[in-house]
Amino acid sequence: MIYGIKSIAKRALGIDKANRDIAVYPDDTFLVSYPRSGNTWTRFLVANLIYPGQSVNFTNIEKLFPDAALCSSRALKRTPRPRMIKTHQYFDPRYPKVIYVVRDPRDVVLSYYDFQRRYRQIEDTCPLERYVDDFVSGKLVSAGWGTWAENVASWIFTRQHRGNFLLLRYEDMHTDTLREIARVAEFMGIEPDPALLQRAVELSSAKRMRQLEQAASKDWAGNRNCREDIPFIGTATAGDWRNAPADCVRPIETAWGPLMKALGYQLSTSDQTTLESQPFNPAMVPVPQGWIES
Amino acid sequence: MFGKAAYSNLVRRFSPSSAPGPYLAVQPDDTFLVSYPKSGNTWVRFLVANLVYPEQSLTLTDADRIIPFVDGPSRTYFKNMQRPRVIKSHYPFQARYKRVIYVVRDPRDVALSQYYYQIKRGVLNEQYPIEQFVAGFVEGVVCPYGSWGEHVAGWLRAGKKNPELLLIRYEDLLRDPLEGSGRIAGLLGIEANSERLTLAVERSSAKHMRTLEAKEGDRWGSTKGTRQDISFVRAAKERQWVSGLPPACIEKIETAWPEQIKELGYKTAAEALADAADGAVAQPNLIGSPSGA
Repeated sequence: MIYGIKSIAKRALGIDKANRDIAVYPDDTFLVSYPRSGNTWTRFLVANLIYPGQSVNFTNIEKLFPDAALCSSRALKRTPRPRMIKTHQYFDPRYPKVIYVVRDPRDVVLSYYDFQRRYRQIEDTCPLERYVDDFVSGKLVSAGWGTWAENVASWIFTRQHRGNFLLLRYEDMHTDTLREIARVAEFMGIEPDPALLQRAVELSSAKRMRQLEQAASKDWAGNRNCREDIPFIGTATAGDWRNAPADCVRPIETAWGPLMKALGYQLSTSDQTTLESQPFNPAMVPVPQGWIES
Repeated sequence: MFGKAAYSNLVRRFSPSSAPGPYLAVQPDDTFLVSYPKSGNTWVRFLVANLVYPEQSLTLTDADRIIPFVDGPSRTYFKNMQRPRVIKSHYPFQARYKRVIYVVRDPRDVALSQYYYQIKRGVLNEQYPIEQFVAGFVEGVVCPYGSWGEHVAGWLRAGKKNPELLLIRYEDLLRDPLEGSGRIAGLLGIEANSERLTLAVERSSAKHMRTLEAKEGDRWGSTKGTRQDISFVRAAKERQWVSGLPPACIEKIETAWPEQIKELGYKTAAEALADAADGAVAQPNLIGSPSGA
């Protein structure tokens, strides 16, 4: 009841968090990903690309490139158009233009584990194995975004190969940030000036973003009500899962193997002759069992 | 401080008398009957309602009450419903729905059916060019739930699979309604003997539904305030597009979503023609409906 009154009042004042209720404009571009998939990194890269005259940091990022889950409806409405908006929502047919970042779910879960400890949503004593099981079966707080596979598949299968959709893999961004940011520039219709791209990459390095996170302190909403011994910026690496116990990897591969393979994520159970990344090909994903019964 | 639009938004979002829509509090034992609009949802709803309540022959309004539309009655209604609930929805992929009956229909027939429905509702007049409607259909702008291709791809490929998601093709249900009803009963955990299934199928035949529509058309939620000279329950047949849609429209739809159309087993006009030339006319795809008119 109290909660209901609070949310009505917030809504009336325009200080509610927009989230899935966001009013969408036809010239919006959305940066979407599952949480802990490199969204903040990509956000800084893109913001530095669009605003070469500014120093992008954690205190001004919500103004330049708002997060639909952190900013109020009113703030989002006041953001100058064309807007860039960050979300973790699964498929929403209203989003006109989407950059989707996908990351190996085996790394996502490790990063999420630290993230939830940071915000005191789980205890340090929570066994990683149990956490992985909850991640796969959609029992974490992140389930509001769907499971990793639901979120990824809901965007890729609806929008891939359309001109208004750009798929980025975190791992590719890691290997060759310049090449991937050039793709973003092309998608956004920005002249890919090498100096501009280089600048964006340097200003968004993990080292620099860690400094910015420190400097922002409580001025950034993401730094409030959390533990200070676990930073927001995670390891910023690809393939950490190789050091994780097999029990934490297997449930993920069992649940989402076909989708992972289609995205070019080699399963630990298959032979590892090549780790060359392959482009995503929806045709490689087998139709889910039981979809069509002949 | 806030205008009329903001106020009505506020009411829609929070008032107990407004429909819950995307804010429905989902219960773990809910089953959702989901489809893109004009894909046979009303028929399946009526069939399922009759399956759940075999004691009496239901009216169309009864079915609306038994399986309410998530954008229809009030929050309070949904809250007070007896569980387990079956709820009708047209929303695109919702991770929150845990058990889903997804009804899919040939998009070329869906386009045609939506076109006539909009004329019935008075949204379009009879002179409105169907070519223009199909252009909007392919863009996904003629309906608030996105495009057909995105709807289908989202629901069928975003991770859910049997038994959480039961796919019912409208065309399969037309050809063998008993088989499809059996699968639905299985999902709902209804112990259905062939007598109960047959009864539900008969009670939801197109012919019977037309009779009911004639009686209740002026007060039934789906037709109230619409043109009564055009009926809501239309041909209830497959492949109406062959004669109903201009070739350019057919091609437009086929090129918009080739993957979905192929994987769902719908033949393109060219494929159907080639089959006919090969003498393969006995394909079930080419036979008319055994039920209804």
